[in-house]
Amino acid sequence: MTTDTKQPEKVSKQRQRADWLLENRARVSVLAALAFLFIVALAGLESKDWFPTIMQGLSVGALTFLVASGLSLIFGLMDVLSLAHGEIFMLGAYVGWTVYTRFDTTVDATVPLLLVIAPFTLMPLWQRMARWLRTLGRKWHFGIWILGLGVVYAAWYVIFAAGDADAIEGEVSGAGAGVTIIVSLLFVAAAYGLYRKWRSNDGSVESVKEAMSLTSWSLLALGGGAAITAMTKFPLVIWDAEDFAKSPSNFAVQVDLGTLAPLPADSFGWPALVAFVVLLLGGSLIALALSSLQTAIGDVAPLTRKHWTGFVAMVGLAIVLHLTKASLNEWVFGLSTTWRFFLAIAVATGLGFAVGAFIEVVLIRPLYDRPIYQLMITLGVGFILIELVREVWGRPEFTMARPAAFNGTGEGCPGQGLGGFFSGCSTVEVFGGRLRVYNEGFVVLVGALVLIGVTLLLKKTRIGMVIRAGVQDPEMVEALGINVRRVFTLVFAMGSGLAALGGVLAAPSIGLSSGMGATFLLGAIVALAIGGLTSFPGAAAGALLVGLLQQIIIRFGQTGINLPFLDEPFKPSPTVVPAAAILLMVVILLVLPSGLLGRSER
Amino acid sequence: MSLLRLEEVHTFIEQFHILEGVSIDVPEGDIVALLGRNGAGKTTTLKTILGLTPARSGSVFYDGNNITGRRSFDIAAMGIGFVPEHRAIFSDLSVEENLLIAERERGDFAAKEDFIFGLFPDLKRLIRLPGTNLSGGQQQMLAVARALVPNNRLLLIDEPSEGLAPVLIEQMMEAIRRLSSESTVLLVEQNFIVASRLAQHFVIIEEGRSIMSGAMKDLVDDDETIKRYLGAGTGGAT
Amino acid sequence: MTTLTPTPQSWLRRRRGLLAMVALLIAFPFLVSIIVDGQGLGAVIANDQGNARFLQGLAIEIFILAIYALSYDLILGVTGLLSFGHAMFFAVGAYTFGIMLKTHEMQWVAALVVVLIAAILQAFLFGVVLVRVKGIAFALVTLGLASVFWIVIQSSDLQQWAGAEIGLQGVRAPVWFLDTTNERFAFYLVTMTLMILCYVLYLRIIDSPSGKVFHAIRENEDRALMLGYNTFWFKLLVLVIASVTASLGGVLHTMHQPIVTPNIAGLGFTVTALLIILIGGVGTITGALVGAAVYRLLQFYLDRWFGAASELLIGLAYVVLVLYLPYGIVGTWRAKAAKRKEGWERLRTLLSPGERPTS
Ligand SMILES: Nc1ncnc2c1ncn2[C@@H]1O[C@H](COP(=O)(O)OP(=O)(O)OP(=O)(O)O)[C@@H](O)[C@H]1O
Ligand SMILES: [Mg+2]
Repeated sequence: MTTDTKQPEKVSKQRQRADWLLENRARVSVLAALAFLFIVALAGLESKDWFPTIMQGLSVGALTFLVASGLSLIFGLMDVLSLAHGEIFMLGAYVGWTVYTRFDTTVDATVPLLLVIAPFTLMPLWQRMARWLRTLGRKWHFGIWILGLGVVYAAWYVIFAAGDADAIEGEVSGAGAGVTIIVSLLFVAAAYGLYRKWRSNDGSVESVKEAMSLTSWSLLALGGGAAITAMTKFPLVIWDAEDFAKSPSNFAVQVDLGTLAPLPADSFGWPALVAFVVLLLGGSLIALALSSLQTAIGDVAPLTRKHWTGFVAMVGLAIVLHLTKASLNEWVFGLSTTWRFFLAIAVATGLGFAVGAFIEVVLIRPLYDRPIYQLMITLGVGFILIELVREVWGRPEFTMARPAAFNGTGEGCPGQGLGGFFSGCSTVEVFGGRLRVYNEGFVVLVGALVLIGVTLLLKKTRIGMVIRAGVQDPEMVEALGINVRRVFTLVFAMGSGLAALGGVLAAPSIGLSSGMGATFLLGAIVALAIGGLTSFPGAAAGALLVGLLQQIIIRFGQTGINLPFLDEPFKPSPTVVPAAAILLMVVILLVLPSGLLGRSER
Repeated sequence: MSLLRLEEVHTFIEQFHILEGVSIDVPEGDIVALLGRNGAGKTTTLKTILGLTPARSGSVFYDGNNITGRRSFDIAAMGIGFVPEHRAIFSDLSVEENLLIAERERGDFAAKEDFIFGLFPDLKRLIRLPGTNLSGGQQQMLAVARALVPNNRLLLIDEPSEGLAPVLIEQMMEAIRRLSSESTVLLVEQNFIVASRLAQHFVIIEEGRSIMSGAMKDLVDDDETIKRYLGAGTGGAT
Repeated sequence: MTTLTPTPQSWLRRRRGLLAMVALLIAFPFLVSIIVDGQGLGAVIANDQGNARFLQGLAIEIFILAIYALSYDLILGVTGLLSFGHAMFFAVGAYTFGIMLKTHEMQWVAALVVVLIAAILQAFLFGVVLVRVKGIAFALVTLGLASVFWIVIQSSDLQQWAGAEIGLQGVRAPVWFLDTTNERFAFYLVTMTLMILCYVLYLRIIDSPSGKVFHAIRENEDRALMLGYNTFWFKLLVLVIASVTASLGGVLHTMHQPIVTPNIAGLGFTVTALLIILIGGVGTITGALVGAAVYRLLQFYLDRWFGAASELLIGLAYVVLVLYLPYGIVGTWRAKAAKRKEGWERLRTLLSPGERPTS
């Protein structure tokens, strides 16, 4: 009998080996075909063209890689294909642009954000409070629900209905009336629903849980309402995207020369102290709501000095920023654009990281048992981010001036040879071709650094080890006593941070538009699919391939391809360039469903 | 005093009711064998203890604490090691990394290195190899070794002898016997001979229910029961 | 459940709700004309300006969206194929019909035949893909194919046919009952009839033995394979049905809209379908109709009230729906109507995807 069970295993092992060979044959031939095509393509170019073409390919590849790397880590580890990733890239670009060109607005926006986030440092406090809430009677819960609804209603009224005053009479106020009716109806319906829930609360575990979750949502509404209202009433430097759109070049020149004067702070809205308190309160309520939504049983960590230090530091920073913003702005606007650019990189990357962590914890985590819905929700998040950007920054496309260190002209420019990259010129001549130092030098350099950095992280650190193990079998990692969810959050945040970094880097070379995210997401997905969905080196290789392919086709679009059966050279139009990369993906996926470097699944 | 106790545990995987009442008592310091046909629910029982497939009702007590409903990593960190079936080692990691990843505190592995390599001398030679390159038997040893890295009081071992050559089975048995001096073991084993020689107690699971338990020496003589519930070697029917 | 063939009468009786809806939809323009516009019944037939005409236009858009979403629900909700290229199914119908009429000056019947052939061909194209890849890779390949189509119809190389980035414009209605400008009520009735036909047809398909196999494929394709079904042919069938239906929606879109923009081929329009069936209830078929109505009305009024911010609100609504109302309106309704717990349980098993999307 035992031999019976052994035999099929042996057969399947042989088959596996045969399959493996077969698969690798396909892989090797695809690689060979690609290499051949590239050589033929490069050989078809003039000698002064091929080096710039490759470097431009590397540049686009590096940007694509910054999006694709996070995407591949996230997909590998948690099986979530984050379709919001491109929009985080876009968000990075816009935030970076704002820090770079409008530091004053950045400072003003940072203060309320810091205040809302600060209470999150006191999580144990909120957890303890949430536990206490659980012991409250029904009447208290009901009171909180009603209060929550009321505050949201009031906040909405303050923001929308009262804001109608300066809109065009008639039409808008008619719409306002419609909205008021609907919101009021919703309010009544919700109150009735809550009342019924309250009536049916019989003290069983289920119903307490339900009451608790309703309370948490009410608290969330309360906190959110307070925070949003206070933010709209916070004294911000108002600056209109339209101003920029009217004369982008003028704007850019002013930025370069450092002559862009900070606008005077508008003194509308609430007194600063009131706004401060309301923001802190709103943040606290949100934190409390989120911690009472968590149903984990585990123990609450003690509230230590560390937590309070963090809290005080954040609030203190907010206050200091607020008080010193005039001189701070002056100082930053006096800095060279290069320094401001690095500041922009840091801020945007950090924000991308935070946004990623938030998305994972709040939106992705509740859906781990419904993978398709995870995919759908990332789509939704992307959609929201695009609309948010359009709301805040407007629809006109932006350009971003290159930082001074990569923008030199005049004496001794363009730089010569490889050393020319460090000459401070905007362009450099290498092997007879002309390159832009920023695009083909700096961007590629950062891309390479990130590749090396992440590879080292994955190979050399414990967290990297956990990630690699988690890609293969998250359940087993959890069984070893490692909190995999936390690793998920970290990886999602890290991937988002890298995407945002890509966005800032891209801004000076390709400009900003609300469509840039979709373009790069598509490129990154193609790269991922080509490289093998879960393979990190695969993502790098795929991104490189995508970049090179696109640039080569663009180059051929200029010179034309001499096809033997055509009289005139065939010139592919630039708009169809992305199509080529996608077709490459389709072909590669069909030939190799697990990509070039991916592990073949079954 | 029992280190681990399951009381009337029911577990669902998606909508399927897999465990329909499992009660187990594992005394500290002993080896308990979990027996049953293929698909009886042995693996699911181990996963339920670890919270990987959480129990919907019933309770799991470990060291006197009710651990039902806790997160898996939390449970494992209380000192429970898991050796999954089918040699689930991390094939992308090297042998060394496979051992290092199991550390709960820095230096765990260094402290246990001699003990582990004493049990499985082969592993020392293979330490730099990637997991994929190991043979099936070596993978199985690595999986057991991995569970030994931190100081685990309880080991859940799922079919350690599966697919091993007789020589290796002997070696594995010897290893389990020796490690049981350090930890309590709950052992799932299809090979009854192996199970009977290692364990002091047994629990039989049939269609998701624990239907019988007692001292191993009583079961060994009870051909009737063995034939009826363990199929006497006619494994393979699902 | 009986083996008797249902008589037409009994079928009608079972579909009382549907008939009532049809009657209401036919009466709708007249009611609006009388009550809101204060005009007579003749105003509708005479195609006068006013709310009746405008609301008919809105309703036609809803019908078209419903046809489009129905086909997506068959693919994603019923059969569980994660396709991100569905907009292409719609756009191919829209563009093919428009180009055949405008550039090639075809007879409308002939143009419809060309659309049909195109629809079947593209379903086969997707089917070929299905042979090789599944799950997330299928989603990516379909996304890729649709993106290529989207890029190509926008390219200046095809300007004279597809109108590049602006889109296809100046397609004239070939017959009177497809003329939304001059014979709005007739076109209203045509789109409504087609939508109802599709809906009834889909319900029948799902009740048929093949429909059971579609469900089985979503639940567990391996098991369906083991039961001896060649699941590939069933999946191909689903793709063909969905492609033809969606193309029909596209054809009507071309007739209704003055300009066919390339947007209808983009990922955004696939998301629209997704949003509609999420609102209505994934896999419920009826949900596609409900969802289309809710979606379009919501979009219309939000746009009116909040202007540019409406898109943001729709995005937020979408996220909230995914998180807290995964069974949609129809799904939730049914779950409540059935015996409480049992219904939920069944629905949950129906909706929880059997396989992880990686496999
Ligand atoms: N993910 C799952 N979905 C549905 N059923 C499952 C799943 N996992 C396990 N089962 C079922 O649960 C039952 C118990 O499985 P389990 O793996 O615990 O059996 P076992 O006793 O370990 O068997 P073996 O000796 O073959 O390893 C089996 O009938 C199996 O089909
Ligand atoms: Mg098992």
